Amino acid sequence: MASSCWGLPDFLCGAPEMSGSAMRAMRRTIDTGFRDMVRGASSYIDAATAPVQSFLNTLEGLFVNTPWIVVFLVLVGITWGTSRSWKITAGAGVALIGIGWFGLWNDSMITLSMVTVCTLVAVIIGLPIGILTARSDRAQRIITPVLDVMQTMPSFVYLIPVVVIFGIGKVPGMIAVVIYAMPPMIRLTNLGIRLVDREAIEAADAFGSSERQKLWNVQLPLALPTLMTGVNQTIMMALSMVVVASMVGVGGLGRNVLQAINNQFFTIGFLNGFALVAIAITFDRASQAYGKRLQRHKEVSDE
Amino acid sequence: MTKLVYASVLAIAASAMAAPAFAQDNQECGRVTIAEMNWASAGVAAWVDKIVLEEGFGCQVELVTGDTMPTFTSMNERGQPDVAPELWINAVKDPLEAAVAEGRLITLSEILTDGGVEGWWVPAYFAEANPEITSVEQALQHPDLFPAPENAARGGIYTCPAGWACQITTENLFRALDAEAQGFDLVETGSAAGLDGSIGNAYARGEPWLGYYWAPTAVLGMYDMVMLPFEVDVDEQHFVECISVVGCPDPQVTAYPVAEVFTVVTQQMAENNPVAVGYLETRAWGNDTVNAILAWQMENQATNEDAAWWFFENFPEVWGAWLSDDARTSVESAI
Repeated sequence: MASSCWGLPDFLCGAPEMSGSAMRAMRRTIDTGFRDMVRGASSYIDAATAPVQSFLNTLEGLFVNTPWIVVFLVLVGITWGTSRSWKITAGAGVALIGIGWFGLWNDSMITLSMVTVCTLVAVIIGLPIGILTARSDRAQRIITPVLDVMQTMPSFVYLIPVVVIFGIGKVPGMIAVVIYAMPPMIRLTNLGIRLVDREAIEAADAFGSSERQKLWNVQLPLALPTLMTGVNQTIMMALSMVVVASMVGVGGLGRNVLQAINNQFFTIGFLNGFALVAIAITFDRASQAYGKRLQRHKEVSDE
Repeated sequence: MTKLVYASVLAIAASAMAAPAFAQDNQECGRVTIAEMNWASAGVAAWVDKIVLEEGFGCQVELVTGDTMPTFTSMNERGQPDVAPELWINAVKDPLEAAVAEGRLITLSEILTDGGVEGWWVPAYFAEANPEITSVEQALQHPDLFPAPENAARGGIYTCPAGWACQITTENLFRALDAEAQGFDLVETGSAAGLDGSIGNAYARGEPWLGYYWAPTAVLGMYDMVMLPFEVDVDEQHFVECISVVGCPDPQVTAYPVAEVFTVVTQQMAENNPVAVGYLETRAWGNDTVNAILAWQMENQATNEDAAWWFFENFPEVWGAWLSDDARTSVESAI
């Protein structure tokens, strides 16, 4: 070995390390156990994913097969409805027309349908967990480190178990995306509820609100701007993860990017990249503008 | 007095550091960068070359991670890395011929003596359970046996990762076989991990699987797979002119030709480093050897480096034949 070790004895030189054979035995035990588990549960897994699969297929079909002008008007309409800003709406329109002009409409629709489903699922699962962490310090102590792991684990690592359990395609892709995109939703729900004015809660208590009424009529409405930031973050992360998920056979823009990387297709890579950027910026501006409008209501009502 | 102590300490330290440098001066091999391709057989080959060149010839070897197209482009345009130990020629046939003609790159030697084997495979347990299916054409008559993961009503043929040359060949053969009309869809696997994962998933569940794969590979060392033959012979000309061309208008069925797999080096490397090139010219191994190494590697989840050392321990007759007595002794002493 080349390292000089400053003349120290061997056991102080290299970091303590378990033996190669023990390591191999450990890896093999875990992997075999994992495989046996998959084999035993495969029929349940199939039954559980079948409805998700058909839902994803239907939604993708809806996005792809609807005439472009309808999808275009709906998306521009949603952008207007959330942002109420001519600039953002016009920008979204131009971005969508650009996407169509460069022949990326179908792939963008596939990506959009995946992002839509993944965001919905992440919000539906993340919101209650966020509420739970906000109401219980113990839950927060348990869930926060889990979220840390979910956010720092390299996203590719999720793909390994997901592919072995669920195979390849949209369902495993969706699971990986949801795991990756959910943490900000939970964190910001938690934060938003915890930041609600103590006085507002005291007032609600004074008027004899039940816990449920306090949550729905006081805490969640006041936390709404923060929740919207969470949704915004979740959309952004889902959008970036959907590209990584193309490595397990999710179609759309990500697949083109992967193809471009493998072949050094400079132009195709950048066009698809820019399509993703255009979608991301549209989502981001629209949802942020919506969040700001919510905040303005709050400021008005505070006065 | 203290100055003297410091000075002598410095002198001792300097001479200690200089010693290995002197030892290397009398070697005639310099720096070599080798592409460690991101598939298993090429990764192990890169480490085998690194170990032999360092231990046997005293080169300083640096490995750089690579993939077919990026590595080829970089070698062609910028002359780096110096060596691609295992380049599958089919993927870069025309640009490589141009680069060789212009003297930028040199195809040295065939690293895989059997060449690369490509084809459509099914798991061995499936082949045993369905002995009547003996060819790709017969398998295509039973879409119900190979349900596609996203749509069980159709059959699925797992194709190559996005952007790989085999994605094009598989797609063209799929059209040549008229598989869509027979109820099959191509299943996009996205990446090598996706393709391997789909085989692993089928194996874990004992389910059928039909798709493109190639040898020598760890997956074929680990999972017992059977290659289904096509009912026609190889038509190499048609394969090159149509099957490997994107969107070929009128593809006809042909078996896969055996792929040529070469060690490719840059012109500067060939001129400046006769020692390393001499070794690379004689170094070649068979698919059986590589499959055995890769199977061991996958079973033990070993790194490419571990697998290369395992190869040196277990196949002395293979690598011994590549080296002069001197070099062989040096490598032996390093094991």
